[in-house]
Amino acid sequence: MTPRPWLHGFLDLCLLAMLRERADYGYGLSQRLAAAGVADVPGGTLYPALLRLEEQGLATPSWAPSEAGPRRKYYAITGVGRDLLDGQAADWRRFRDGVDALLSASEVRHD
Amino acid sequence: MTDWPSAFEAELLRLGVQPARARRLADETSLQAAETADAPGEVFGPAHLYARHLVAELSAPGAASPRTKFEPGPILLSLTGVSKRYRRQTVFTGVDLTVRGGEVAAIVGANGCGKSTLLRICAGLTRPSGGTVKRTRRVGFVPQDGGTAGWLTAEEHFTLFGAAAGMVPGRARSTGVHLATRLAWRPGRQQRAQQMSGGTRQKLNLVLGELHAPDLLLLDEPYQGFDQGTYVDFWQQVFAWRDAGRAIVVVTHLLHDLQNVDHVLDLGER
Repeated sequence: MTPRPWLHGFLDLCLLAMLRERADYGYGLSQRLAAAGVADVPGGTLYPALLRLEEQGLATPSWAPSEAGPRRKYYAITGVGRDLLDGQAADWRRFRDGVDALLSASEVRHD
Repeated sequence: MTDWPSAFEAELLRLGVQPARARRLADETSLQAAETADAPGEVFGPAHLYARHLVAELSAPGAASPRTKFEPGPILLSLTGVSKRYRRQTVFTGVDLTVRGGEVAAIVGANGCGKSTLLRICAGLTRPSGGTVKRTRRVGFVPQDGGTAGWLTAEEHFTLFGAAAGMVPGRARSTGVHLATRLAWRPGRQQRAQQMSGGTRQKLNLVLGELHAPDLLLLDEPYQGFDQGTYVDFWQQVFAWRDAGRAIVVVTHLLHDLQNVDHVLDLGER
């Protein structure tokens, strides 16, 4: 899994991407992140990030009951969130391609 | 024994979170822990530490919001080719630094490389051996220690320093008290400076440096003795000053805050 410091810059991006697919609550999002092999995000990292998205108007919360246990806070992406995600996705791809290019160039040299 | 949500809420209040908001955050945090069917302490760790972490996270610019870049303001401090010698010993030479309104500069380097001397040169308290220094007229200077009178209370300091800047006593006091609360400090009416802890005395220094609303703030490691929560408040305060268009120069030996500053002047690597 991804080293923690790497994730720091991309957690918001990952959360917005998952919320664009469908609205979800905290624990559900952490399971999806783990299932995608991105990271095992502790609650102390995840929930502050979600609150920040909410306060920045990038995601909007709604409360819903759960089958068992207490009600859950579901987050849905907002229009602003979508716009930001589009921009960040482009940034991410540029970054990823740059790192890939550097890695493959170095691999050729060492062969 | 207090339960986790109460301890969490109490710490949020201590950190200056509005009561309604603190209550809401405490409720939500309990529900979040319930999602994982664990106790809050299991999910988030000790209540007071998570409260500080959460406050810092919510006020820090997230990855989703690169900080608003303000138009740089006028140049408020400019050093060109500044050097300092003591007898035959050269402390530093050729120091250039330009700080505009809305910018934060950090002076870093090992102990003894002349950080404090350079800051005093910025303030006009020490003459450089060479080079030129230009600065704006309204300057606030916060020394590393000292600068307060042991037998005076905080409010008496506000009155005294305010008078030096031409403020009437009532206004100086209310301004001082207001600035103190931003550092999570409520000055005691009777408490003299000599009875304050080192961290609180540094807060007093910080408030005194800012009392007359200077355009350029020069701070010499002003957070020594601060606990973690106050340390976070300190940097928030620095960025609030910056966003209000002031220029700030901070001497520091802590490197982990430098990602948010505009200029880093490393005196050790010269």
